[in-house]
Amino acid sequence: MGIAVLLKQVPDTTAKITVSGGRVDEAAVSKWSFSPYDEYALESALQIKEAGGGDLIAVTCGPARAAKMLTDAAAVGADALVHILVDDLGALDTTQVQAILAAAVKHIGADVVFCGKQAADTNAGSTGPGVAHLLDASCVTMVSEVAADGDSFTAIRASAGGNERVAVSSPCVFAFDKGTTELRRPNVRGIMMAKKKIIETMTPADLGVDTGSSSVSIDTHSPPPEKPPGQKFEGAESVATVVGKLRDEANVI
Amino acid sequence: MAYEALDFYDVDSLLTDEERMIRDAVRDWVDENVIPNIEKACRDEVFPDQWRVDLGEMGVLGAPLEGYGCPGLSYIAYGLICQELERGDSGVRSFASVQGSLAMYPIWDFGSEEQKNHYLPKMHAGEWVGCFGLTEPDYGSNPGDMITRAEDKGDHYLLNGAKMWITNGTIADLAIVWAKLDGVIRGFIVEKEDPGFTAPEMTGKHSLKASVTSELVFQDCRIPKDRILPGVEGLKGPFSCLNNARYGISWGAVGAAQSCFNSAREYALSRIQFDHPIASYQLVQNKLSWMLREITKGQLLAFHLGKKKDDGTWTPEQISLAKMNNVDMALEIARMARDIHGANGILDEYPIMRHMANLESVKTYEGTHDIHNLIIGRHITGIQAFTREP
Repeated sequence: MGIAVLLKQVPDTTAKITVSGGRVDEAAVSKWSFSPYDEYALESALQIKEAGGGDLIAVTCGPARAAKMLTDAAAVGADALVHILVDDLGALDTTQVQAILAAAVKHIGADVVFCGKQAADTNAGSTGPGVAHLLDASCVTMVSEVAADGDSFTAIRASAGGNERVAVSSPCVFAFDKGTTELRRPNVRGIMMAKKKIIETMTPADLGVDTGSSSVSIDTHSPPPEKPPGQKFEGAESVATVVGKLRDEANVI
Repeated sequence: MAYEALDFYDVDSLLTDEERMIRDAVRDWVDENVIPNIEKACRDEVFPDQWRVDLGEMGVLGAPLEGYGCPGLSYIAYGLICQELERGDSGVRSFASVQGSLAMYPIWDFGSEEQKNHYLPKMHAGEWVGCFGLTEPDYGSNPGDMITRAEDKGDHYLLNGAKMWITNGTIADLAIVWAKLDGVIRGFIVEKEDPGFTAPEMTGKHSLKASVTSELVFQDCRIPKDRILPGVEGLKGPFSCLNNARYGISWGAVGAAQSCFNSAREYALSRIQFDHPIASYQLVQNKLSWMLREITKGQLLAFHLGKKKDDGTWTPEQISLAKMNNVDMALEIARMARDIHGANGILDEYPIMRHMANLESVKTYEGTHDIHNLIIGRHITGIQAFTREP
């Protein structure tokens, strides 16, 4: 069984983001990481592989810097690495990215796809369903846990009243919400093995995907509005004011 | 905020991808596990057992050793591991130094095949903890005159004596103990269950509070004959272990200094006095500039020494210089960082006082600052000045 895990490299959630010329200044990002929901997908896929065997192929679409993330995936147990080189991911719209990823999954012949429900930078949330559509595969979104029994899978996903247990068979796509287990930490042995793994690098054209023109483009990025300054109250006489504000403005009491 | 290590001369670009990945893995572990918990560990005076488990799982214990389950990493990688651990706390780096350089290394270099196969895989995995007994209550810088004795009793050795200031002692499953057998210093492996062996913890430390420090007491302690390290006699044994540990300290001190520098820089930028951040005043900038200068020199010293360790061209005097210089510089930076933090610098909200107090120990252990000066003095003049004897 081939298990593809779709990974996106995003600015680390603790990195400072600056906007310059209407665009996020990528050169100023101090640390790049796995998108957090992708980490849960990767960990779940690693557990499926350990329990039932199969090849885990880590796939990313992005610029050259994203190769490091694939090596990081190899250090925790990915068997093969595929990098579709796209210098400016922001120039592609989501359907184009889905087309590239779906073509990559076909190229490697994977039956099952794990990914995050959304990327931490764009938050579009369309990759899982979009790739499933192009692959004509079942799709389960907002997944927290997956178990495998041969080609059959059960996934736990959030529902209105609690959790749903969904049965699905391959080909299928699981788009992960926060999972039950954090991504394992790489150890020295894994890191030493990772450097021996070759990254298969290709372009969208190699996969037969045309990324010529997009009907959607981003006009500008802008930083979130600055937080208004906090209010400070001192002394016993301010108690009534504070209680009033907590009740009427903050609605917390 | 993500931790951004001071790296003014881009030492990062001199590392291999593998070295960077190992450094980042340890860095992340320290950020997630050590830094949020270290102040409580210090207050409680415990080394959290989970850290032992984690370090074993990460595979960083005895990292530069090759074979017997150990990965054989470069000494640069080992240095980076020490740097990141000590950025968290000197006690965590001490645990790893003692396990890898002082307990695993002598078994790896001087042990029998049986000893290597028996102990090293479990020590690398963190399942067994080791300690190193050289220093005695009355013999610190002068270990050659140690009192601890071993006697050959035919079918066993009998150990008598006491060791002091032993990191990991109380939590150790085995101790590498240096004792005189017929007047010659030999290494012995003592296991915690051996009759006549106890390891009471030393309490009341104001330094390395999250590290276990112990006495080792041998009172007619019987150990089997196959627990002697066959491959070494004399002070060469313990000193070759100390060379590796001192090398690791030269990197670790850089980590502690980076932690103090980062805290001082952030504090200086956010602390407003006379309507402006104190970072905008020349006296503070002068201090920050001095800190950056000394850290950068220390980094390059440690890196170059690491390259010499990796190609085998190092000398013990070069290790003495790096250990002495980098600990001294880190301690001065901790003091200067405390000064920049003003009164806030004494609070455990900041890592400053903890690093400062730790570094006072690091300055003294593994060869005191002064002893390293004498090692270099002997190198320069050809005259030993340790003792008045000829």
